[in-house]
Amino acid sequence: MRNNFLEIVRKVDILFIGCAFLLLAPVLTVQRTNDFIIFCIFVLAYNLLYGFMGRLSFGHMLYFGVGAYASALTAEHLSANPFAAIAVALVAGAGTGILLGPITVRTTGACFALINLAFNQVGYFLALIALAKWTGGEDGMAAFFDNIWIFDLGNRYVVFGFSLLCLLLVVYIMKRLTSSSFGILLRTIKENETRAKFLGYNTFRYKLAAFVISTTLSAFAGALSIINYTYVTPSFIDTTRNVEVIFASLIGGSASIYGSLVGGISYMIISNYLPKYIQRWEMFLGVALLLLVFRFRSGLWGYISETVEKYALKGARE
Amino acid sequence: MLLSVERINVSYGRARVLSDVSIHVNEGEMVFIVGRNGAGKTTLLKTIAGFLSPEEGTIRFGSDKVNALGPEEMALKGVRYVFQDKRVFTKLTVRENIQLAAYAAGVSLSEAVDKIVQLYPPITRFLESKAGTLSGGQRQILLLGRALIGDPCLLLIDEPTEGLAAGIIEEVFKVLEMTRRKVSMLIVEQNLAVVRRLADRVYAMKEGHIVAEVNTPEDIQNQTLLEEFL
Amino acid sequence: MIDTIAYGLTIGGILYIISIGLSLTFGTMRIVNFAHALVYTVGAYVLVASLSLFNGHFIAASVVAVLAVIPLAYLIERYVIRRLYGESIDYAIIATYAVLLIGVDAIKWIWGAIPIPLSDPVGKAWNILGVELPLYRIIIIALSICVFFILELFFKYTIVGKIVVAGLEDKEAVRSLGIKVDRYFSLVFVIGSCLAALGGVLYAPITTVHPYMGFQVLLLCFAVVLVGGLGSMRGTFLSAFALGMVMAVTGRFWGPAAETMVFVVMAIVLIFKPIEV
Repeated sequence: MRNNFLEIVRKVDILFIGCAFLLLAPVLTVQRTNDFIIFCIFVLAYNLLYGFMGRLSFGHMLYFGVGAYASALTAEHLSANPFAAIAVALVAGAGTGILLGPITVRTTGACFALINLAFNQVGYFLALIALAKWTGGEDGMAAFFDNIWIFDLGNRYVVFGFSLLCLLLVVYIMKRLTSSSFGILLRTIKENETRAKFLGYNTFRYKLAAFVISTTLSAFAGALSIINYTYVTPSFIDTTRNVEVIFASLIGGSASIYGSLVGGISYMIISNYLPKYIQRWEMFLGVALLLLVFRFRSGLWGYISETVEKYALKGARE
Repeated sequence: MLLSVERINVSYGRARVLSDVSIHVNEGEMVFIVGRNGAGKTTLLKTIAGFLSPEEGTIRFGSDKVNALGPEEMALKGVRYVFQDKRVFTKLTVRENIQLAAYAAGVSLSEAVDKIVQLYPPITRFLESKAGTLSGGQRQILLLGRALIGDPCLLLIDEPTEGLAAGIIEEVFKVLEMTRRKVSMLIVEQNLAVVRRLADRVYAMKEGHIVAEVNTPEDIQNQTLLEEFL
Repeated sequence: MIDTIAYGLTIGGILYIISIGLSLTFGTMRIVNFAHALVYTVGAYVLVASLSLFNGHFIAASVVAVLAVIPLAYLIERYVIRRLYGESIDYAIIATYAVLLIGVDAIKWIWGAIPIPLSDPVGKAWNILGVELPLYRIIIIALSICVFFILELFFKYTIVGKIVVAGLEDKEAVRSLGIKVDRYFSLVFVIGSCLAALGGVLYAPITTVHPYMGFQVLLLCFAVVLVGGLGSMRGTFLSAFALGMVMAVTGRFWGPAAETMVFVVMAIVLIFKPIEV
């Protein structure tokens, strides 16, 4: 009985997720919840690489930032159509992934983390100094979007609804990806890449594909955040902010879509509300990270789902 | 009984590598383990040496239960593990290789060097060369000599003649013969000729189990009997 | 031209001194230690604190700074690094980064976030080939070369050094001799951290002392270690000076791009010589 219930829930979970966020909105204000949503998209994109493929990137803000700047620049120079901006951001994200992927994806572990970090730093430099003429340097630049059809993006409810739809779309994509043979192969690569190679798979292609999908979706999140803020600064590509998405992945428990959402929301709640109560909240973040690494490997969501499974098994036995 | 392994189970992660394995070695004995690749022979040696811990069962050395001891502690107790693949410290000279063993065993370097030279006089030529320049056979002899520093009670040796030419195998054989009776040995070996010439007893392993114990001289000399297990 | 080369060598020397610890920790424990940036920063801050205590006597303050990180390094090794042995490298990165975060925040708490400039402790300049070079920088270069030779001697002639060399190559074999290698690796970790603190002390007067100074230098050190070969002392030496020169030369033509160029070089090297980690 219980298993059937869980299966049904799994099928319509997109509805549940949508409702959950709709419920959050009045509690936390629409704008805040919008932030949460966009961050969750970023965490989902990140988790494809970290949770499912087992590669820790320490420089994913680069791709987020690429999307952000791409959409701002589109608004400024090409077209104030938000969909155009998103399209350009997606292309930019994919392009960056295709450009950097062949280099980074060949490495693993520490190398992978550090190369991404280095590229992030280069991107930060480009945004802050090298291309400051276009990006506005330290001050950043504004990005104004037109209203298209029913999407009046000045209206925060419309923006919220739009972001939520995007999130649900991304969740759907991720669900299909991770439950497909592609997803299974990614997980095999995570466990034992040599074995995957022995089975005859060109792991490089799959790793590259996953990487590009991740960078593209990250850029998507970046574009959405600009639509939300209408302003971009180098902080959108700041290397030290990588810890945010890593923390969210850890809290949530990495190889799980629900985990990503739980992690994203948890981190956002912590970073938005904790500083009000704890002044040294970065220290708290560090301590929490240590606890997660040493005690709660599978994160909050992992802990919860393991406990639920234990109860489900007990129930089935009795 | 010097070493007693009683019904141990060992796993690598989720894969069970050794099941219900029991062997023993008496003082002064030279016991061999034969079996195909992947039978678990190296894992057995490594577990006894302390690199792995059995999930179940007991390992006794002398009167002590040593399941939980690590390789350093086992070495100090007198159990020395000699690795496969002739792993010497290539960046150090032969003398320095010996120096580390002497330092660990609390023996003076000159004493240690003398001991090894006694075992294999030609090594004097190589004392100042980097161990990486030694041939396979010379490395194996260096490893055996190094393991004997500090007068251990039990040597665990993993495939000493692997990859060696017949002439060199003779040299290694001589070294093993010389140490016989003074030190007990548990040796994994695929070269049955060596086994037949030296073994007091032979265990055969297959897929993580002990499938036979051969302990009479006639059976050991029986060519077909041993070949069955390879 | 001369002063560019001198600057490159100075930066190279400092990068070398800091990177040694990182390279060793990686070679011995297979751990990428972000907390290395913390001991570097602490070294600089303790220097600042000691300078006021010792009335501006730089050498005394430096010694105190380098020694002061020993307990910190020991604590990090004992309670964080040791628990990361054999773990997936990602956890090592996250955990040591967490330590760095905690430490930096603690520094902000104690000393505030405002950058503290330090003046050149020597103040004099030498005339080399017609160019006025700050004597301090020449001292740094000389010091880094000294450190290199001391380390070479250490690894070649001391028993501890030999154990570490052997352990870097084959840890299990050293253990099977009866030597508790991990203890020696811990010692190496502390030494590496002291060197990082020394790097912080030396670099402090050239840059400014601020809580995030570790972050900037850490990335450069990773580049040095990756290019030079993880765990290779000589490789680290060469790549540190090479990358230092890259920074100096790039800085001459386009100041802010200096660090970025290092990463470009690193990426190029890694394309042709990918590293299995």
